Amino acid sequence: MHEVSIALNLLEIVSEQCRKNGYSRIESINLKIGRASGVMPDALLFAFEAIKIDSIAKGASLNIEEVPVSGLCNNCRNNFTVVEEYVLCCPVCKGTSFSITAGREMDIIDMEVS
Amino acid sequence: MKVKVVTKILEANDRIALENRKLFDAADVFVINLMSAPGAGKTSLLEKTLSAKSGLKIGVIEGDIAGSDDAERIEKFSVPVVQINTGGACHLDANMINEVISDLPLNALDIVFIENVGNLVCPAEFKVGEDMKVMLLSIAEGHDKPLKYPLMFQESSALILNKIDLAPYLDVDINKIKKDALSLNPGLKIFDVSCKTGEGISEWIEWLKGRHGR
Ligand SMILES: Nc1nc2c(ncn2[C@@H]2O[C@H](COP(=O)(O)OP(=O)(O)OP(=O)(O)O)[C@@H](O)[C@H]2O)c(=O)[nH]1
Ligand SMILES: [Mg+2]
Ligand SMILES: [Zn+2]
Ligand SMILES: [Zn+2]
Repeated sequence: MHEVSIALNLLEIVSEQCRKNGYSRIESINLKIGRASGVMPDALLFAFEAIKIDSIAKGASLNIEEVPVSGLCNNCRNNFTVVEEYVLCCPVCKGTSFSITAGREMDIIDMEVS
Repeated sequence: MKVKVVTKILEANDRIALENRKLFDAADVFVINLMSAPGAGKTSLLEKTLSAKSGLKIGVIEGDIAGSDDAERIEKFSVPVVQINTGGACHLDANMINEVISDLPLNALDIVFIENVGNLVCPAEFKVGEDMKVMLLSIAEGHDKPLKYPLMFQESSALILNKIDLAPYLDVDINKIKKDALSLNPGLKIFDVSCKTGEGISEWIEWLKGRHGR
């Protein structure tokens, strides 16, 4: 839903990094996006294509690694990974009390520059 | 050449949120980020809160995709209010708040409510500099919501179960909402409220006074 603002934040960070270090081109950027981050990878790719024109990243491709949602069940201490899209509960005991241990990532990992 | 970046994409937002928080803290203002799906009753709750004669000095920041209807509803109570139009964005971010902070007389206020854009997903991701998040769920939205939108329930300090006056007309399991919400977030404070009848408003106000006093 808000992928354009995410894409703008991303472009700002990578451009600044290039300016500081004197690189002139970004060829690719690697991201990790969690499934519970509220960001849809396809929409982010689309938004990035639109905003990268006229920037140092105009030739850059975006590679997104999606991170599944994982949780630690407070009831049976099971570590689990969510396969379905939405409903979150512990697959072992069906408990709904858990802490999310992964899946909220919106991280830039690295980039290929020249 | 490969270079490591290792930065959160929302790092800039989080930084500005922290700046906002410092401004609010310096004026000793308690800030509440109010979130819900569209139409759950955020503005109605603010109207009830403002008419409750709580003694609290309240200011409001209204976030909407477009229009100023909500700010006009608040203006009737003669309290400081600022309208932000996000121009299509589905949430408020820290920078939008930063730009309007100086429009509020912070030193004259106890509490600032930020009414976020109606949306159950992304407002929870964007810190704006609040002391706490409060979410509203109208019971008409159904009892599956806590497990469908766990993040919002986990991030909030209080849950206003609104439109409780509609309970006789709905097949909704209110106890399931509470049970699931509490297992997602055992510390969650839950209020049964009707902004139509006024039920639950005094409990909410008392709690608010207690939180602000801390
Ligand atoms: N029956 C009933 N109706 C309510 C209650 N609270 C709000 N409403 C109605 O629900 C509708 C939406 O209320 P608002 O307060 O505008 O909701 P909102 O969350 O501010 O909406 P947006 O800002 O558009 O997301 C209005 O028609 C209100 O009169 C309630 O407790 N009971
Ligand atoms: Mg409203
Ligand atoms: Zn379990
Ligand atoms: Zn959004």
